[in-house]
Amino acid sequence: MENAELLQLAIAGLKNGSIYALLALGFTIVYAATNVINFAQGEFFMLGGMFAVFAFKTLGLPLIAAVPLAVVAVTGVGVLFEVLAIRPRRDGDQMSLVIITVGGSLVLSSLARHLFGSDALPLPEFTPGPSLAFAGAAIERQTLWIWGLVLIAVVALTMLYSRTRLGRAMRACMQNREAARLMGIDTGRVVMISFALAAMLGALAGVAVTPLTSTRFDIGAGIAVKGFAAAILGGLGNPIAAVAGGLLLGLIEQAVIPFSSTLKDVVAIVVLLSVLFVRPQGLFIRERKEKT
Amino acid sequence: MRRASVVRVLVIASVVTAMLTGCGAETTEDGSSGPTGEPLVIGAVLSVTGAQSGLGQPEKQAIEMEVARINEAGGINGRPLEVLIEDDGSDVDKATAATTKLVEQDRVLAVIGSTGTSQSMAMRAEIVAAGIPQVSLGSGTAITSEFDPLVFQTTWTAKLVVPLMLQYLEDEGYTKVGLITEDTGFGKDGKALVNELASEYGMTVVSDQVFKAADTDMTGQLTVIKGAGAEVVLMYSSVSASAIVPKNMRQLNMDIPLVCSHGNAKQEFVDGAGEAGEGVITFAGKVLAPETYGADTEQYKVATGFVERYTAEYGVAPDHYAGHAYDGLYLVVEAMKRLPEGFTSADLRDEIEKTTDLPGIGGVFTFSKTDHNGMTEDDIVMYRIEDGAWVLAE
Repeated sequence: MENAELLQLAIAGLKNGSIYALLALGFTIVYAATNVINFAQGEFFMLGGMFAVFAFKTLGLPLIAAVPLAVVAVTGVGVLFEVLAIRPRRDGDQMSLVIITVGGSLVLSSLARHLFGSDALPLPEFTPGPSLAFAGAAIERQTLWIWGLVLIAVVALTMLYSRTRLGRAMRACMQNREAARLMGIDTGRVVMISFALAAMLGALAGVAVTPLTSTRFDIGAGIAVKGFAAAILGGLGNPIAAVAGGLLLGLIEQAVIPFSSTLKDVVAIVVLLSVLFVRPQGLFIRERKEKT
Repeated sequence: MRRASVVRVLVIASVVTAMLTGCGAETTEDGSSGPTGEPLVIGAVLSVTGAQSGLGQPEKQAIEMEVARINEAGGINGRPLEVLIEDDGSDVDKATAATTKLVEQDRVLAVIGSTGTSQSMAMRAEIVAAGIPQVSLGSGTAITSEFDPLVFQTTWTAKLVVPLMLQYLEDEGYTKVGLITEDTGFGKDGKALVNELASEYGMTVVSDQVFKAADTDMTGQLTVIKGAGAEVVLMYSSVSASAIVPKNMRQLNMDIPLVCSHGNAKQEFVDGAGEAGEGVITFAGKVLAPETYGADTEQYKVATGFVERYTAEYGVAPDHYAGHAYDGLYLVVEAMKRLPEGFTSADLRDEIEKTTDLPGIGGVFTFSKTDHNGMTEDDIVMYRIEDGAWVLAE
């Protein structure tokens, strides 16, 4: 195997990994605020692509307007989802909330099927043109967009968490929701904003990747598994760990391909299970004593 | 949440998802204006959603349209025809469940489908237990080579298509082929046969890659193919994700040709691949270019009539999947017409087997006690994508 090939595989790994990272961030943000795994996360991804295709094809908007519009619209869906589905059962146990997210994911994908049909729908690249050559490997322009968007998302999230009052409230909820509430933090608002952020990140991943892959009403579940795996791999509840987990998962998948592309997903799952057995808190999170 | 509850949540969630995504039946109009009497009921299991929806959708449309037409023309020997269409979501378990429902609840006389090879094979146990004929629309060689007297097939198998693809590669002077197939029954069928036959055509498979229906990126597999020095990429696949392969090839600046199986001869693939699809070659049936049937043949009349009706009804020309469904339906319908009142599923099976020279969209059907496929390589022509559409290639 030549270096250029290895580099090409690494580029593919980091590209897919960035997408997993955005989804993992969505999982982790909602988990941090609610202690619930949001199984509708993949649907935000699917809706991002769908809305962008709808705005571009059906409404005839230019891409530069269609893409942000799709992200904003899905963010709205995230807020609606929280208000309509999660909030009424907020004081229920985690299990019932998780089941609600599973149901919500089915509702969203069925709706998408009825609104947009069951065919795969394509979207043009943000900046069409030949791939860029880099040390014998090729980087497609859309990949640069994906990386750029991930970078912006991570920087913005870091700023939000470290610089703003809201971010501090979210971090407080992350550490101990009850205590945060006792300290006067509006945890309800934090939960809603978490869903909005998760939806926005999912949609961002969806619109960024649709030019490469097309989108279809039922792709949410498959990509959610990858994002969830990335979040577990890195460690649930920590944004940086989620990003690291996503990139690592993407690289592992590509590393398997030269040996057997059939085993790509199997190896990824085996790695995930091993991590769960050896380091249940995730690779990138220090073990924390349970608070009682 | 503790680790145990994370796992518990996952298990419950996946069970719930599996339960909730079950399939619902849709009934086609049973032509209340035309024939009277008890309807003749057959079932159809189609992949209307999921990875093979690009195939199952046109199949469903073709059946709905033709059933309405049959009933308007008086039904079958005065009795209306009813086809119960079940969506298997491109999933083997749902295909099996749908078959059980059709057999036990609806007591259908025969089952058309499923769309895919894996689903068709998975349905077989139910079919055999019920003793009713199955007319599969799947393309896997196994469907009729693992012979069962009850099972018929309307599609060209890998045994027919792979030699044509390899012959073309040999004629073009290629010797090193990079193979990429999908991880389905259809893909595995092609993969096995290409590997088996390549040497007979002076071909070496320099890299043998697989992708999954849910995959969103094949640059890894293609990088390995490129690195192995392939002169041409041969793809044997049918799912929506196939359209990512030509895109990824372009992204990797691979300027070698892509030759694909009949599984990609549909508009969904052309739309998905966009500009990257230009020049891609496939081998498929004649319905995309009806003039190839020969202008004064019976088949030409059947096909052009079907193309006209379908285009008028749905605004797009039918692909060969719509054609397979048409053929599957008429194989059953014509056999029913030949039978006297009060026939059983066993009579129907025997009568389908007696089909001789029935002009269809995919070919002219003649079955025998040992051949339940009956297609030949004369039924297949070569197409190329030009300006966003499949056109006949020389």
